[in-house]
Amino acid sequence: MGTDPVILTRGLVKRFGSFTALDGLDLEVAPGEVHGFLGPNGSGKSTTIRILLGLLRAGGGHVELLGGDPWRDAVALHRRIAYVPGDVSLWPGLSGGEAIDLLGSLRGGLDMRRRAELIERFELDPTKRGRQYSKGNRQKVAIVAALASDAELLILDEPTSGLDPLMEAVFQSEIADERARGRTVLLSSHILSEVEALADRVSIIRRGRVISSGTLAELRGSTRTRVRVRVERLPAELSALPLADPRVDASGVLNALVEPDRIDEAMAALLPLKMSELEVSPASLEDLFLHQYEDAADAAGHEGGDA
Amino acid sequence: MPAVGARPSRPGGGRPAPWYTGIRPLLVATLRQEARATMAWIVLVSVLSASSIAAYRWIFPDAADREALALTMSSSPALELIFGPARDLMTNDGFNAWRAGMLGALLSGLMTILLVIRTSRAEEDSGRAELVAAGVISRRARLVVPVVAAVLASGALGALCFLLTWAFGGQPTPTLVLSANFTASALVFGALAALTAQLGSEAHTANWLAIGPMGVLYGARGYLDASDAPEWTQWLTPFGWFERTGPAAENDPRPLLAALGLTVVLLAAALVAAGRRDFGLGFVPLRAGRAAAPRLGVWLFPWRLHRASLAGWGLAFALLGIVMGTLSTSVGSILADNPVIAARIATGATSTAELSTVFIVTVLQLIGIVAAIMGAQIVLRVHAEELEHRLEPLLAGPLHRGRYLAANVMVALVATGCALLIAGSGIGLVNAADGTGVGFGEALYQGACTIPAVWLLVGLSTATVGACPGLRTIGWGGIVATFAITLLGPTFNLPEWALSISPMHHVPNVMADDVEWTGLAVVSAIALVLWAIGFAGFVRRDLS
Repeated sequence: MGTDPVILTRGLVKRFGSFTALDGLDLEVAPGEVHGFLGPNGSGKSTTIRILLGLLRAGGGHVELLGGDPWRDAVALHRRIAYVPGDVSLWPGLSGGEAIDLLGSLRGGLDMRRRAELIERFELDPTKRGRQYSKGNRQKVAIVAALASDAELLILDEPTSGLDPLMEAVFQSEIADERARGRTVLLSSHILSEVEALADRVSIIRRGRVISSGTLAELRGSTRTRVRVRVERLPAELSALPLADPRVDASGVLNALVEPDRIDEAMAALLPLKMSELEVSPASLEDLFLHQYEDAADAAGHEGGDA
Repeated sequence: MPAVGARPSRPGGGRPAPWYTGIRPLLVATLRQEARATMAWIVLVSVLSASSIAAYRWIFPDAADREALALTMSSSPALELIFGPARDLMTNDGFNAWRAGMLGALLSGLMTILLVIRTSRAEEDSGRAELVAAGVISRRARLVVPVVAAVLASGALGALCFLLTWAFGGQPTPTLVLSANFTASALVFGALAALTAQLGSEAHTANWLAIGPMGVLYGARGYLDASDAPEWTQWLTPFGWFERTGPAAENDPRPLLAALGLTVVLLAAALVAAGRRDFGLGFVPLRAGRAAAPRLGVWLFPWRLHRASLAGWGLAFALLGIVMGTLSTSVGSILADNPVIAARIATGATSTAELSTVFIVTVLQLIGIVAAIMGAQIVLRVHAEELEHRLEPLLAGPLHRGRYLAANVMVALVATGCALLIAGSGIGLVNAADGTGVGFGEALYQGACTIPAVWLLVGLSTATVGACPGLRTIGWGGIVATFAITLLGPTFNLPEWALSISPMHHVPNVMADDVEWTGLAVVSAIALVLWAIGFAGFVRRDLS
């Protein structure tokens, strides 16, 4: 497998009339990785994906997918990718099985064994008509069609919206298997636990720009670790402890943050206080996400812009 | 979404909530939502009526012109087929009653069918009605609201049509009777749609369950009129009732009581059915589909999508061919009863055989226009799929946009072509069996020669859907214009350049002695250009 990025955009711009959806987006997805693509509603995730699929023409900047131009080489590139939209619309008169086969045959065939296996794992009834499916089941139809193909790259745009927790777990294990097979996945999602569990690297997008990108460890960087501890007696002066932002909640539990390289020191200071409960956790993706957004919002606030 | 603010009934026990609970807020929201689209229909029908009053004095200024019109009319069964018999063409009111009467009634019915289905069954399909149904609203109110909206639209249609036509110089009494006909038609078919909305499990089915019978009734009325059937047969169809009111002749509104009666019966049946069925389901149940379709690729897919409606259309064209064929065999003898025509036959200016071939050519052109409607629907579906986000996952596969469009346009072209071959065969079979002198092959050949003109009309839709979907009404505009020119152009003595706007004008009569092909070649070339525009645009534009 090559090391050239599977997806590469530099300064990607897309405007719809006076509205700027993408404002210089830089995204890079390496082969064989699961890449989390995070951002709130309306931040430009779906526009990016639609440009990568050759449905929209880029308004400016550079975009490359599997070494080709997604607009010009759409058909050739699409042999190598599979796509799951976030809101699957099915043909009212076609059964789910027919829709899977249609999508499969357009991609040049499905692995029938895999199709049967996926239908069983996702507990999908393929004889129901499109309009009889619930939201989650429509989503399953698209997931089965995508996973049963032999695509190199899976582009998943909020693929699990509407899935129940059991199916969500099935989905996560299937994606882990796909990665083990060497496929590349671009996973756009709001479900941060899902991205945290699956993604090797993450890009966070805000107002049409990637504001942060890297592995979870890189993103955490010097982000402080969260400490939650119940102690028998609290010191009179909380600020004397080597902890940042210490707070005692209503049930008497002490919550605080600590620099990763000062955890030893913090534990040493807490030991004499007789701990009965202790939780030390690195910043979750959710913390990072909110943190990034607050920073970016502050920065935007200082610029005085309301754009 | 409407704020459903009616007072709730006492929870658990007490009297059940009255049937009208929740109607008002939903009605207000529905009217606000539908006002614009419905107003367009109302204006269309009103202008249809007012324009014939306005145009009459201008096109037929003196008695000689009017007599000439009456003569053309009485010698053209194709005109009777579409417009019904003319009672009096010497006054503008009589002319209006003929030109706008049947067509206006058809359009009025179509308006309320689409309105009722859109606000009832289509709302259920989309899931919006579920939000409404979860509010404080009785089960029947969800049907009562579309019906009330349809009644209001019917009334508004009659009122505006009357005022506009009267303002343009129509006499009050005939204009009132004519406008009342339109209102009655809108009521009857709106009530029919209220019933079919309970029967079909989706909007598409419900629409066709109402539009199909309306088309059949219109066709039956045309056949009965054009074949000089006995007068009592007018009672067989609602359109016959409207004829019996005789605007500008008898001016007798009593036959409209039959329309009111039928409206009440249909509405009662719809309300009973609405109270008994499950939400989202209809009386025509959905069968389970196949679990797999291994051969369903891009070329087969549009056929699969349109399978059911194509079967219906195929049946309709076969029926049209046989019915029109039957009519064509008797056209000559019916016309020979007309003293003026008889005189012309006697002098050798025309012959019954020639009259029936001219009829066959015109009827195949009209069938071609119906086929163009089918073709335009198939092509416009491409844009509907795009709006419903169903195109996106297909094009995310290795599918060239051009191939996707080609697969769909192919269905439209093959289907419209087959429609004319089927209808031509039907006409040919009946004529061959009857030994009229028109052979099976000739009728089929005539049908085939009409196909390029239909393909040009389909090309208009293809060009707009491909290059600029915002302009897609142009496709319908082309069909309407072709219909108007084909049918009314010769009657109105339009100049040659105006007639030649219609692609149907260039279809040669292959049963005549000398056949001119240049026009058809030009039509074919324009069709090719339109397709090219469509394909070039479709591979270049952003998809919505």
